[in-house]
Amino acid sequence: MFGRIKKRSKTENTNNDDNNAQVDSSIEQIPKKVEDVKERLGEIFSGCSDIVLREISCGKEERIGILVAYINGFVDKKILNQDVIRPILDYFSNTELQEERCIFERLKECVVINNDMKEANDMRQAVDGIVSGEALLFIDGEDKALVVGVKAPQTRQVEEPYTETSAKGAREGFVENLITNTVLIRKRIKNPNLKMEMIRLGKQTRTDICICYIKGIANEQIVEEVRERLRKIKNDAILDTGIIEQFISDNRLSLFPTVGSGEKCDKLVGKLLEGRVAILCDGTPYVLTVPYLFIESIQTTDDYFEHAFFASLMRLLRLLAMMVSSLLPGIYVALVSFHHTIIPYKLMISLAASREGVPFSPFIEAFLMIVAFEMLREAGVRMPRQIGQALSIVGAIVLGEASVAAGIASNLMVIIVAITAICSFVTPPLIRAIMLLRFVFLAAANFLGFLGISLTAVAVLIHLCSLRSFGIPYMAPFSPLTSADLKDSIIVVPIWAMVTRPKILRQEKASGKKGTKRLEVEEKP
Amino acid sequence: MIYKDGKKRNIMAIIILLLIFPLLLTGCWSHRDLAEINIVAGMGLDGTDDGKILLTVQVVEPTAIQTTSSGSGKGGGSQQKSVFVVSYEGETVFEAIRGILSIVDKKLFLSTIQVLILGERLSQEGIEEILDFFQRDNEIDYSMDVIVAKGVSPKEILEMECDLNPIPAVYVRETVANTVSRGTVKRTMFIDLIKDLGNKGKQPTLGLVSKIGEKEVKTEGTAVFKDGKLVGWLDRYETRGYLLAVSKVESAIVNVTKDEAKIAMEIIRSRGGVKVKFENGEPTLLSVKVDAEANVGEYEGKGRLDSAEKVNTLEEILEKEIEREIMIALEKAQKEYSSDIFGFGTYVRKYHPQYWKNAEKDWNDIFSYLPVDIQVDAKIMRTGIIKSPLNMGE
Repeated sequence: MFGRIKKRSKTENTNNDDNNAQVDSSIEQIPKKVEDVKERLGEIFSGCSDIVLREISCGKEERIGILVAYINGFVDKKILNQDVIRPILDYFSNTELQEERCIFERLKECVVINNDMKEANDMRQAVDGIVSGEALLFIDGEDKALVVGVKAPQTRQVEEPYTETSAKGAREGFVENLITNTVLIRKRIKNPNLKMEMIRLGKQTRTDICICYIKGIANEQIVEEVRERLRKIKNDAILDTGIIEQFISDNRLSLFPTVGSGEKCDKLVGKLLEGRVAILCDGTPYVLTVPYLFIESIQTTDDYFEHAFFASLMRLLRLLAMMVSSLLPGIYVALVSFHHTIIPYKLMISLAASREGVPFSPFIEAFLMIVAFEMLREAGVRMPRQIGQALSIVGAIVLGEASVAAGIASNLMVIIVAITAICSFVTPPLIRAIMLLRFVFLAAANFLGFLGISLTAVAVLIHLCSLRSFGIPYMAPFSPLTSADLKDSIIVVPIWAMVTRPKILRQEKASGKKGTKRLEVEEKP
Repeated sequence: MIYKDGKKRNIMAIIILLLIFPLLLTGCWSHRDLAEINIVAGMGLDGTDDGKILLTVQVVEPTAIQTTSSGSGKGGGSQQKSVFVVSYEGETVFEAIRGILSIVDKKLFLSTIQVLILGERLSQEGIEEILDFFQRDNEIDYSMDVIVAKGVSPKEILEMECDLNPIPAVYVRETVANTVSRGTVKRTMFIDLIKDLGNKGKQPTLGLVSKIGEKEVKTEGTAVFKDGKLVGWLDRYETRGYLLAVSKVESAIVNVTKDEAKIAMEIIRSRGGVKVKFENGEPTLLSVKVDAEANVGEYEGKGRLDSAEKVNTLEEILEKEIEREIMIALEKAQKEYSSDIFGFGTYVRKYHPQYWKNAEKDWNDIFSYLPVDIQVDAKIMRTGIIKSPLNMGE
């Protein structure tokens, strides 16, 4: 059982012939006669009530047949009529056709007003165009079709992101529309070196994915690795970058995120400029960045807009919060269960007084309270907004007052759970990892006291140091120590002193295992 | 990546699981909940008529402390007692401590002992053997205060109901800490006592506590030991002289008179040291040297204190006074108790080891008959923020 999970958890490629097979089998020429095309499309889209197949006859004696195919509502009909249909009708009714053979080129070059035009050479491309919201023009006697991009804009307004807020800096967050998102990025980096590579993923959904990086800044090896890993994703549906994240993570079982995710525009641009690679996905405002290092969990965009002293102080505070959040319940349990001798005498009395009459052991007590809090938190995320107030009242009273009054939990435990909870929200990327670690530390503390805590901490550290994100050591710049990158780690130096880009991202051959090994292999051709 | 030896991996997984399970099955060695222990704040040891040990412990009732300190008496009329005191007679200390478990509900927790009070009778009989348990046990905090009860049994002090602090043991300890800043009691931590007991060149001394009222104690003076047995007391001035000589005074108020003016001077820093002068391989003179810095705290006299001469005379008077106090302490130690509490022997051991080897056993007698030389150098640093008293006179 373990073996199977482990095998799947590795980002190893076992088969990648699936995609090719699909391509080979479906090369199908576009029939020359419009009627045949219509029939074929009718077959393909049978049962799709939203497909529109419209035949136009134009020219002298209505000899030229054109089939317009699109999906209702997906294209902007107004633009389609204005820029495509009307010019065609006007043109052919006024112009004497000399050679019929040139109709396709004429249409493409001087009739249709729309700028976004492509040719579809086979049926598959044509169908792809239709399902992605483009209008297809099939012309009688041609074995290719004209793809006109008249997609209706379907997106919400660019708003301030819900999950990430900052005191200073831009408030623009990404939206569900991929093109809007690329524009948001492009707007901030006016440079042709900003590359946007589009690919499609998902056997059923055929979702547009965009690999975004700055050529010359991003490490080519990493970009290639991203392409490679994305290509290997075999899944029916790519509904969110969260799915991609799980496929491309270096260590798929690790609690710690090795792929960054965010919906803040300026944050992403900053990461691109540092040399990271972004992965955008149509249909979700969350954008991935790789490589993602541990230190990024305590970085925020505000750090670079504020005085470096305060920013550094905040970094230290976040680091402290992270430790407190994962260790505090464990330390409390270790103290009151094993290490009474190191508690100062006066604290001892108040500790003992608060423990007096509590029927559970400190471990059970802490466990119950933390679980109760986690439930409350989860409920807060899931429930309809209108109920929020009721929940917060119940939560505050039950967790705070009543549990103490009823003698189920001690006063101090409530404080500890509260501090733990507050601290866990300081570093949002690590919330899940910290939550699980908290229980592990708690259990370890209950079995072995401080010895258990330190053993667990060592194990966690070893794990962290062994992690890689796209070949880059996760704990960089601390392990391996990259002194040039320490400028933006626990402390932040002023922005005018931060003159070099992160060195660790530029390294050609990262020493290590897993992802890196494959980086080297792929250099050969 | 095909694992041919799948069976082996399964076995590994089982082994790992088997290794994890015992962890859950452990009895959790030394795992004890805070609510399942009795916090001991003070302990008293005394001897009984039939040679047994009377052990008294003062156990804190945390909830009672909390309610009294927060001021909101939840219980209303029935005020819960903040401590309870239990005694048990046993042949040994350990037996007595375990015996107490037959009286109290929860196990005793000894790390929180603030003060260990030794009875007069027990001290006279000798404390070296009794203290073995406290060194051997892993729970004992070596920084607890050790003090001797004079004219009262430790049990009485621990049973006292004091108004100033809900826990009598803490009250005693804080009193000692206060008195130390007057230089009239010696504060001895357990670890210091152990060191002194093991040191043949210096006899141990302990602070002493006596009862002065129903609810009050006084900590002043010193208990002098010789070879682990209590031999006598030093009063507060002797104590100060003794502490000045061994450089243990944090601060002290010294009263002197000059031309009918009463002057109180506060010693703010002092450094003392003892030496033994040798001639021809034999000790000839005990030498005590003290440097002190003082402020004038009060001057109930006439005239200004503004000239260097006036201050110099004050310095001389202070030096005389300090010398006198050291003298009486030293004389008492020599003539009355014949116990080298000053640690001259330590000096001899360090600088004349050959002589020490032979004289170690008789050192206290040798010490008693040696002449004494005391040098005091006092400096007055400040005379306060006024220059002239109200009644300036002429």
